[in-house]
Amino acid sequence: MGKRIEVLISGFGGQGVVRLGQILAQVSVDENLYTTMLVSHGTETRGGYVRTQVVISDAPVDSPVCEDPDFLVAMSKAAYNKFKPLVSQGVIIYEPYYVEQDHGLHCRQISVNAREMAINELGREIYANVVVLGYLTRLLDGTLSKDQVLKVMLQKIPKFHEENKKAFELGYSLAVS
Amino acid sequence: MKRYFDTGNRAITEGAILAGCKVFAGYPITPATEIAENMSRRLPEVGGYYVQAEDEMTGMHIAVGASLGGLKTMTATSGPGYILYADPYGWALGCEIPIVVVNAQRVGPVSGITGAPGQGEFYIARYPTHGGNAETIVLAPNSVQEAFSLTVEAFYLSERFRMPVTVLADQLVTDGWETLELPETREEIEKMGLRFKEREICRGPVFYPFTDQLDVPPVVMGHNTGGTCSDWTPTDEGYDTEEVEWAHKHSYRLINKVRNNKEVIRRYEEHFMDDDPDVVLVAYGSPSRVMISCVKKAREEGLKVGCIRPISLWPFLDDLYHRKTNYLVVELNYDGQLVREVQRCVPTGSNVHFFGKCGELPSVAEMLLQIKQILNGEPLVRSDNWEWEAW
Repeated sequence: MGKRIEVLISGFGGQGVVRLGQILAQVSVDENLYTTMLVSHGTETRGGYVRTQVVISDAPVDSPVCEDPDFLVAMSKAAYNKFKPLVSQGVIIYEPYYVEQDHGLHCRQISVNAREMAINELGREIYANVVVLGYLTRLLDGTLSKDQVLKVMLQKIPKFHEENKKAFELGYSLAVS
Repeated sequence: MKRYFDTGNRAITEGAILAGCKVFAGYPITPATEIAENMSRRLPEVGGYYVQAEDEMTGMHIAVGASLGGLKTMTATSGPGYILYADPYGWALGCEIPIVVVNAQRVGPVSGITGAPGQGEFYIARYPTHGGNAETIVLAPNSVQEAFSLTVEAFYLSERFRMPVTVLADQLVTDGWETLELPETREEIEKMGLRFKEREICRGPVFYPFTDQLDVPPVVMGHNTGGTCSDWTPTDEGYDTEEVEWAHKHSYRLINKVRNNKEVIRRYEEHFMDDDPDVVLVAYGSPSRVMISCVKKAREEGLKVGCIRPISLWPFLDDLYHRKTNYLVVELNYDGQLVREVQRCVPTGSNVHFFGKCGELPSVAEMLLQIKQILNGEPLVRSDNWEWEAW
């Protein structure tokens, strides 16, 4: 791999932000990469702000901070506005239902309509994070294998495996421009 | 060796179990809740006991009582609970009762923010109770793996010194996820350099000896030892006394068993310190991770910068700061605590600067900016014009 990859995921509590980070990070550990994941959150179980910072590297990780994320996943307006200034060379993946795109940014931005896809195809918004996971896995092709991500996802998510597999495929099969 | 991807809270639990902890009593609080949760699952598997108290003060009292009953014990909390430990912590210090206390620091003051890191209890960990006349032992991990090994070490030290030992972590270490390697064989345990000491029982008639020696077996109530424990000044046989001479002897032991055996506790890490750096960074706990990244980056840019990470915080390692140079102390608070100790230790003519951040880690870029400002002789100023030099 030869480098350090920073993935910053942020949104509301209850959206599965931490679960998403856990799956990516566990896959990296299983593939013998060095991985750290920091989690910060408010007091609320649902609705408060949540951020997870995952660093994946083939060398030991000193700083676990995502200072210049390769991938910023913004699942809320607050997350997008707070963390967009950090991204210089990386990609911002945002949820258009909550986020209004800032056209003034120089980095690449991708709108992934995960909420709508989850509701239309699976009937519940709760699968939106797995749609994003599928898409991220596609972008991380070469670093993390799809089979491994799916395997870990099913270990980490206790119920509704068929729905989650479908949500994953929805994200994975989105065109990568 | 088995590899896991897990939290510092899990690491602390497994460290405690490996060290022979048999009792956990406390009250759950973010970001240390999972220690209580994990202990409630793990202790019954090893014949131990988990007690959830009605609040932190009772929790630690129960834990101290269990240790007096002859079992290795631990309690865990965050800042708002650690301050409630003041009373039982004093008992454990005064009556020389071994116990491991974990504090996962979060932003303060008061309840602050649950899920955000802070470093506000540097001094409270040194002075955790009233009355003075005691030294304390505090260890500060900066990774999940180290949270495991320092918990094992904390049990070892608490048995040898007969006293409470605080593991001063922060939210990013306890709630943070990282690779965790747990040893499965005796060889793997030895390879990790872990140290253990079994619980012994003091059989008297001298229970509180006037000596600075280590390895005096702890006082245990019951077991026909005749041991006593009270919050008053004890004679060496453990009877309450109001004679000042005994207060002197008791204090001598509490202070000097630590001061005269500092080398047993001493732990630190240094990077790029061999060529008299122009700036020396100092940090403990999670900000030290960013500090190490920052120093490597600074070296790549040709800047003569080094760093020191104290791992055993108390007793303070005064001699680490013997170079006359510029120091930049990075902490997860705005008031500056560690920086005051560094200031106390440096030679005359050194310049000690402070960079504080709270609720989240500083970035490498932010730290590098401070280093350059120091090298250029400029004042350290935050983006909102808050001058750091005012610490």
